[in-house]
Amino acid sequence: MKRRQALIILVSIVVLSSQGLAAEKKYQRTAEKYSVPDVSLVNQDGKKIPFKSYLETDKPVMVEFIYATCTTICPVLSAGFANLQRKMGADAVKIRLISISIDPENDTPQVMKDYLKKYTASPGWDFLSGKREDIDSVMRSFDAYVANKMYHLPLTLIRSPADGSWVRIKGLMGAADLQDELAQITK
Amino acid sequence: MSPITIRLHIRVLRTLLNSIAVLAFFFCSDAAAAENQQTAVEGPTREKLVQLGERMYREGLLPSGKPITALVQGDIPVEGTTFTCVSCHVRSGIGSYEGGVVTLPTNGEILYRPFKDVRRFVTPGVGMIPYFKLPKIQAPPRPAYTDTTLATVLRTGIDPAGRQLDYVMPRYQLSDPDMNILIFYLKALSAQTSPGVTDTTIRFATVITEEVSPKERQEMLSVLNAIVIARNNAGKSKMDSQLPRWAGFSEDLSRSRRKISLAVWELKGPPGTWRSQLEQYYRKEPVFALLAGITTGEWKPVHEFSEANKIPCLFPITDFPVISSTDWYTQYISKGYYQEGEAVARFLGNMEDLSPEKAIVQLYQDTREGRALADGFRETWKTFDRRQPVDCVIKKGNPVTKEYLLQKALSKEKSAILLLWAGPEAYAALEAVAADANKPDMIYLSSSLLKDGFLAVPETVRAFTYITYPYRLGLEITPGKDLGKGSMGVRKDAPVPVATRNVAQKTGSSQSLLPEIFMMMMTNFYRDYMLDIIGMCGDMKDSPYERLSFGPGQRYASKGCYIVQLTPGANPAVVKKSDWVIH
Repeated sequence: MKRRQALIILVSIVVLSSQGLAAEKKYQRTAEKYSVPDVSLVNQDGKKIPFKSYLETDKPVMVEFIYATCTTICPVLSAGFANLQRKMGADAVKIRLISISIDPENDTPQVMKDYLKKYTASPGWDFLSGKREDIDSVMRSFDAYVANKMYHLPLTLIRSPADGSWVRIKGLMGAADLQDELAQITK
Repeated sequence: MSPITIRLHIRVLRTLLNSIAVLAFFFCSDAAAAENQQTAVEGPTREKLVQLGERMYREGLLPSGKPITALVQGDIPVEGTTFTCVSCHVRSGIGSYEGGVVTLPTNGEILYRPFKDVRRFVTPGVGMIPYFKLPKIQAPPRPAYTDTTLATVLRTGIDPAGRQLDYVMPRYQLSDPDMNILIFYLKALSAQTSPGVTDTTIRFATVITEEVSPKERQEMLSVLNAIVIARNNAGKSKMDSQLPRWAGFSEDLSRSRRKISLAVWELKGPPGTWRSQLEQYYRKEPVFALLAGITTGEWKPVHEFSEANKIPCLFPITDFPVISSTDWYTQYISKGYYQEGEAVARFLGNMEDLSPEKAIVQLYQDTREGRALADGFRETWKTFDRRQPVDCVIKKGNPVTKEYLLQKALSKEKSAILLLWAGPEAYAALEAVAADANKPDMIYLSSSLLKDGFLAVPETVRAFTYITYPYRLGLEITPGKDLGKGSMGVRKDAPVPVATRNVAQKTGSSQSLLPEIFMMMMTNFYRDYMLDIIGMCGDMKDSPYERLSFGPGQRYASKGCYIVQLTPGANPAVVKKSDWVIH
């Protein structure tokens, strides 16, 4: 019954949302402080990544929640990352891009490696997965937890290396938007 | 649902509303016009055009073999191979929901039909919308598409009403000839209801091979029959009566109602003859899909029948599924024995202090079980940069003796890791190994092979023996009272883990998706859509497995397997040594 109720909510959400059919190109932007858990995740090479310290770098960090077989918004988010790396060229290593799986059951290192290859990712972009409970705690720490991966929303979280503060962007961005946001955080 | 819960949900909805994007990909024009308006494609045959169009739709490749190019979010250049039509509109073309984005149908039946209210085509489960008694949503009628306006919307994102589609929808850069091929394909996509559906009934079948025991046969059939009875006896729900008169919702829901029937297709004789028996059953009475099914052997002949005839087969009970990353029509509960071998490879591969040159001896009997376990390990182990295992194969029926183990399997390798894919009959040999100077560093066993002997692993080897365990730990699963209606009772006080789960448990949990599938399918009786729906289902936690999960293109619902050890004593405890999914 819970599954049925969850589906009801979902369908209601999407139907209500159809009021905005001719969608505008916009997103919501808020400043946030996050306290992330000290958990160990695993990247596309099977390497363990201490998540908290991995974020605490002198580079700007961009975090997005995706999964490899996602049909709709994850490809858009990942195309944004891929395009950003392409435009930055050799400077791409000056930022840290992190995609975090919300489908750790399926997203093994091999699956994540294949995914990054499809998007021609270059060094500086990691795809992280891990224990279900660790992934859940990371999602919760960013106020991004969803019980069902189909409910997830397009979020981009950008960490300032200056003071560890975050910008939370809800919605899908274009290439220029993404570059603008990055420029603002590095001012 | 209590009023408080409803209020809470509505509050959640309101909070979320502003953050939701909608992909409105309206393909539509008048059906009659479509008949007269043949897309100007000359040269290739219809089959070839469908094949080329399918490649554009599913793989994002042009007839030339080059990737389609497009812009997404206004200014992000993408290649069609990463942004295929099938990604959002799914294989059937009926559309999807994901991440707050609704993708509307592009199938042949809807494509050339005008509509006045977008809500009618929202996928899935329109029947549930009135639950919250939502106000009418104002969505202007959409003019019918023509081939010309269809090409325009694909290139520019502007529909015949002049509306700009959401920027999630790529704007594809296609030449006229390529565009014509894609449009030709869209017209053919899910243009006709799949076989096995009449005005009153959806026909299903289940496949049983003759060697299956009467007990297991009965267990599976009792669950399936309960589902059939529940479905066919269900009247109008309270929710149905709350349906408003929205743009044909009530009519659609009413038209979607069908009884379901279940035929039993019994297969006899050697597996080589199964395919022709299946074809014969199918010719006699086509079915929409196969539900469950059971064999003690390999599912491959049925799998190949499903692929060839494009018939979904939902969660057969088999320990020997076909392992494929591309086949589409069979949804398995798990990879069976293969998955246990895979788990051991991942467990060892992640051991940071394990030397890449460490010797691994994989000893198995030449049986289906032994080969599947060995294949699972070997194939997965290849992804790690480590020394390959040495395989020692024993003829079927020959026992694993201590002489064989010590003088042949382990004689050349000191301190090796032994993967012993055998049953409890090998315990005596293991006792001898424990006392030998050349004993292995670690031993790996399969609980599925050990079965009832799982907890009787000799104490002398327990300290360095690890066992695969592909089920939920610490819970004994028993069928609930409402078995067949979609839930399983879980008793939390069972202290003794068992190495197997019965057929009723496996059938009950995996087939519990059916009511949801029927509800979401509405009148879209397309086989591919049934599989698309499963790809959109949420994870299932109340099953004999730690978790069953689904996703677009995912074909094995249980993806985990614990590695455990036993504590000393006559009644050992089972200790987890790994996560459910080993990364």
